Amino acid sequence: MRKHLLALGVAAVLSPSLLAQKIGVINTMSGAEAPIGENITNGIKLAEEDLKKKGFNLHLVWEDDTGKPQISMSAMEKLATRDNVTGVVGPYTSACSNAVAKLAEKYKVPLLIPAAAKEEITRLGLKHVFRMNAPADKYASSLIDAALSLGKPKSIAFVYENTDFGTSTSKTAKDYAARKGLQVLGDVAYPKGSADYRSSLAQIKSKNPDLVFMVSYVADAILLMRQSKEVGLQPQAFLGAGAGFTTTEFAREKAISEGVISCTQWTDDVNWPGAKDFGARYKAKFGKEPTYHAACAYASMVIMAETARNAGGDRAKTRDGLKSGKWNGIMGEVQFADYDGFNNQNNHTMLVQQIIAGNYETILPAPFATKKPVFPFPKWK
Amino acid sequence: MAVFMQSFLSGILIGGVYALIGIGLTLIFGVMRIINFGHGDILMVGMYLTYVLFTWLHIDPFVSVLITFPLMFLFGGFLQKVFINRVLHAVAQNQILLTIGLGLVMSNTAMLIFTSDYKILTTSYSSSTLQVGGGVTVSTPLLISFAITAAVTAALYWFLLKTDTGQAIRATAQDREAAQLMGINVKRMSILAFGLGSALAGTAGALISPTYYIFPQVGGGFTLKAFVITVLGGMGSVVGATLGGILIGITESLSAVYISSGWKDVVVFVLFLLVLLFRPSGLMGKSRT
Repeated sequence: MRKHLLALGVAAVLSPSLLAQKIGVINTMSGAEAPIGENITNGIKLAEEDLKKKGFNLHLVWEDDTGKPQISMSAMEKLATRDNVTGVVGPYTSACSNAVAKLAEKYKVPLLIPAAAKEEITRLGLKHVFRMNAPADKYASSLIDAALSLGKPKSIAFVYENTDFGTSTSKTAKDYAARKGLQVLGDVAYPKGSADYRSSLAQIKSKNPDLVFMVSYVADAILLMRQSKEVGLQPQAFLGAGAGFTTTEFAREKAISEGVISCTQWTDDVNWPGAKDFGARYKAKFGKEPTYHAACAYASMVIMAETARNAGGDRAKTRDGLKSGKWNGIMGEVQFADYDGFNNQNNHTMLVQQIIAGNYETILPAPFATKKPVFPFPKWK
Repeated sequence: MAVFMQSFLSGILIGGVYALIGIGLTLIFGVMRIINFGHGDILMVGMYLTYVLFTWLHIDPFVSVLITFPLMFLFGGFLQKVFINRVLHAVAQNQILLTIGLGLVMSNTAMLIFTSDYKILTTSYSSSTLQVGGGVTVSTPLLISFAITAAVTAALYWFLLKTDTGQAIRATAQDREAAQLMGINVKRMSILAFGLGSALAGTAGALISPTYYIFPQVGGGFTLKAFVITVLGGMGSVVGATLGGILIGITESLSAVYISSGWKDVVVFVLFLLVLLFRPSGLMGKSRT
């Protein structure tokens, strides 16, 4: 008992809240990826505000990597050796995160990646690299699992952009579909920006698959769905992985987007603690809806700051703190676990959503559902 | 069979628009012997014009052709008078550099004004279709744009064959010096030809806007396609460009189904090379020696 009291006393004297938490941020704030990077910046700014209100003595060091891995790496070198930060939150893109992860390991600086999707980043066995968001394979598996739980599909066809993003996402999806016993009936990689996908879609239609899985960006997503309607492609479900199927522009195209199933890391109508409040405050402060990037960045910064404070600014203790800790916040339960070949990866639950009456509604997992799913896909009018 | 018919039909419909782009390029080449490498960018200007007319003034993209055509004609005439006429007798490289430069100025100006975001035009009929029978469907906007293409092409044929001005343009294309000796104002014909070529490209831009998306760099791909169509049909031949456009449309569509959609451009270029090997002057071209 006396020992405990003593420990308590020492802890009170060296109260970590008196020390400043110096944390680095690497993000894409200029260049082509900047519009999405901005969401991360906003998320972190909101976290900083909240933490300061809670009495944190937070000192953030911002670095812009312009979306280029080599600049991201020099930013990491600077943060690790000159600024002596306790930990780093960022970078945004997969390419930058992949490059910076190895440096973080070299300098033994805890790195918390908020929103990069490339699977390999947390598969390299790096001890100091943690990731908040679910990696790319989760997109495929949660969509296919959703379709399997809604009905009894037996076959699937894939349509995807023939870029790194399209091929890697659909490859994981194909493997997963095969493991689940789905027959792959079509496999179409299209060159980005073709005006006419009708012939490929008509070919898929002739094989009559139960599911159609698409990976595309915004503009192509709209074209693909328009032309699917034209040729009368009528599967039990359209599964849209990737950026194009989760935008408001896409949802606005009601004639073709209604009923399309997609997935996301976060929305503000989940019942995770603080999510709704975060959404409302974000909208009031920045004048737009928060994306999942913003939520991931917010949660990452809060966790990094809290862990750094508890560790008294020590890098090794911060790393151990991240590894052993457990949190519950706007991203739901967060824990950096080792599973399926991943290290320090938060096994985040993806939310499956469907466009119902022009809005994205969460349909799965059941506890978060806001609307009943529509299945099979409604007949084209 | 339904798959074949479906892709054949959409190939023809898309090909119609390609033809319109090709005719514009071939007209300019025929009269001036200048390959307009900014042709796709002129098409892009036509697309943005349609976009602006639609979003700000709510003019239907197909109706806006009535505004786009004359405006783009004036734009093309202006380009010819101010820039192209000055290099008519310069070496070919300089002409090419000038048209590429003009194209770059256009696409970068569009980027400054509209940013590089993709824009999509959504009309009430953007996603509507027509049943043809046998499980084959056709996109309504694509069908309308094909009809307009056909009308514009027919009007152009009539203009070139029957009117005095049209004949003067053809005379200039056949032999510039002889035409000049016959009292034809060839500089004026050049302005007319470039204006017409631009108006056709702009119209094509307006016609594909409801079914495609718009961004500042959209022109590059179309320049290349127009070039292939023009050479395939025979440089300077309007009939050749019409045929070439439809041929390319069908080839793309069928090869996407029966080979792979990633390889369709390869098929188009192999076809292009074969035509050049066996008919160096193009399908309808006359060799000029």
